[in-house]
Amino acid sequence: MTAKTKERAAEAVEPNGKKGFSLISDEKLLQLYSTMLKCRMMEERARILFKQSKFSGNYYAAVGQEAAAVGTAIDLLPGDTIGPSHRDFITNFIKGAPLHKLMCQLYARVDSPDQGRSSPAHMGYAPLNVITPSSTIAAQLNIATGVALANKMLKNNCIAMAFSGDGSTSLGFWHEALNFAGVNELPIIFVCQNNMWAESVSLALQTKVQDIALKAQAYGFPGIAVDGNDVVAVYRVASEAIARARKGGGPTLIECKTYRWYGHSEIDPGKYRPAEEVERWKAYDPIVNMEKYLAGKGLYSDDLKLEIVAAFNKELDAAIEIADKSPFPDGPDALDHVYSFSIRDRALSTKTWKPKY
Amino acid sequence: MALLTYIGAITQALEEEMRRDERVFILGEDVGVEGGVFKATKGLFQEFGPERVMDTPLAEGIIVSAAIGAAMAGMRPVPEIQFVDFITPAMDAITQQAAKLRYRSAGTQTCPLTLRVCYGGGVGGGLYHSQTNTTWFAHEPGLIVVAPGTVADAKGMLKAAIRQDDPVVYFEHKKLYRSIKEELPDDTDFVTDLLKAAVRRPGKDMTLVSYGWTLQLSMQAAERMHAETGADIEVVDLRVLNPLDKDTVLESLAKTGRLLIVHEDHKTLGIGAEIAAIAAEEAFDCLDAPILRVAAPDVPAIPFSPPLEKYYLPSVDKIVEAATRLLHY
Repeated sequence: MTAKTKERAAEAVEPNGKKGFSLISDEKLLQLYSTMLKCRMMEERARILFKQSKFSGNYYAAVGQEAAAVGTAIDLLPGDTIGPSHRDFITNFIKGAPLHKLMCQLYARVDSPDQGRSSPAHMGYAPLNVITPSSTIAAQLNIATGVALANKMLKNNCIAMAFSGDGSTSLGFWHEALNFAGVNELPIIFVCQNNMWAESVSLALQTKVQDIALKAQAYGFPGIAVDGNDVVAVYRVASEAIARARKGGGPTLIECKTYRWYGHSEIDPGKYRPAEEVERWKAYDPIVNMEKYLAGKGLYSDDLKLEIVAAFNKELDAAIEIADKSPFPDGPDALDHVYSFSIRDRALSTKTWKPKY
Repeated sequence: MALLTYIGAITQALEEEMRRDERVFILGEDVGVEGGVFKATKGLFQEFGPERVMDTPLAEGIIVSAAIGAAMAGMRPVPEIQFVDFITPAMDAITQQAAKLRYRSAGTQTCPLTLRVCYGGGVGGGLYHSQTNTTWFAHEPGLIVVAPGTVADAKGMLKAAIRQDDPVVYFEHKKLYRSIKEELPDDTDFVTDLLKAAVRRPGKDMTLVSYGWTLQLSMQAAERMHAETGADIEVVDLRVLNPLDKDTVLESLAKTGRLLIVHEDHKTLGIGAEIAAIAAEEAFDCLDAPILRVAAPDVPAIPFSPPLEKYYLPSVDKIVEAATRLLHY
């Protein structure tokens, strides 16, 4: 993290020089905190389950980045749409998807939202408008842009929020989406979680500019860089962007400067990153940051944390038990949901033809 | 009844569907004020306005992606790709997103859109304004791919596609736009079955399968053969390239014992290769002769200079020659 982002964090935490002053309700501050904590717990549990071979495939933890996802998405309404990337599994939880659905997704069971089709971390949830992601980077921005177009045409007061990382900003798709959203003044918020590494490729090899937020200028709408490990700062920026989008003011690009604690995935030890860098960012933990902020307002106690942890561990246990008991899909289920009509008969047919002449 | 051209049928289908359902909208390059480079969307901007006939930035990827998202959110978008030669920037959107969205979400998220794609050679368009490339999309389960070869289908399949709850890639051949005419009934619900091939000319001596512009060539070849030799060729208009209507083709083959496939796409791994494989797999006993194909040669694209283009494209002569060989086997 640069000195510059530290300054921004300090400004956000202590506006107007009054320590702890905030226009955000205590209830909301506590919700931001507890949601981050639960996301952390859920992902750390997922990592353990993966290491225990309770599920296969892979997992892409956003541990360390919780403030970015929670701060931007926590106030979205059920009708709003999220376009997640592979590292945004937690956005399903933030949007309100039941915990056991998340666990069934990891376990690839019939009770997962996609009945075991997508990879564990690639979760969407139709009832709350979380787009089921593909693995092709930045595609979710483009689709979310289309959703925003429909929202505008239908005048339904809904918005879209698309998540991506620093790596995605190099793709043509990313720019096509932002350009289209800008031209058509769409109700969409692009959240770039700049964690400085696209798998093993550093930010310096990804872009020549210091702030990805600058790129929004080229598309004619605001781009704001924010300390992505300061959930209050993220929340403030997002609140303004959401209100603006809902009022027909058009898109916003929010760059959350943050860091992932672990490798790109559970099979990546992440050795390409200097140990000192990782440790420095771990010491700037968004959850601990928020604990300090809440403590300054007299809202935090260790007991509060223990209470949240104990209760949520129980919820996790129950959700995992449901996933454990949920059956795997049957092999031939692979033939379903190709079209609006079934192809089973066709695929399983053994019919042969005899001459009729 | 009204006498319509192929392109006139397309315009009429769009107009009728937009009047019927206000969720239907068009987006693409030059589709609005200009009414499309071939005038397929002529007059629609004036009737429906810039919101429902959107001129977009020059970026095929977002044209298709925006349609996918809008379809997910309840609209019925009809994006246009001006020339299939320019479709490649949208390949991720079409093959990774539109084709797979229903599957990867177990049917909980879908994108009913109709992607109109102008394709085909024979107009002196050269390498990048003449390609066919239908096979790319026929290879993608999750997409319905159609290629109407008649005026009636140009209208009926487009209307059916817009009403279909699946992503449909609708291939319209630019050489057919103004070269064929047909009387169509004044029926705003004139739709064609999106999943069935059609027998265009009954016959008993050979099955000739084709689609698009080469269907017209195939019909001419069949008539010429009949006039010159008395041979009765059954012409099957494949018209749906994905998923293939195997039954109509094999039913015909079971009757004739001979199979010729004609298409404008490349020969290797073209639709003809798949039909030949299906025939070998499922109707081996019906084959009285080798399966023959008349197709574009395996060169990268259709060359510009007239003799080169002529050499490249299927023709009535080439079809007659192959059919004659097959009948004499």
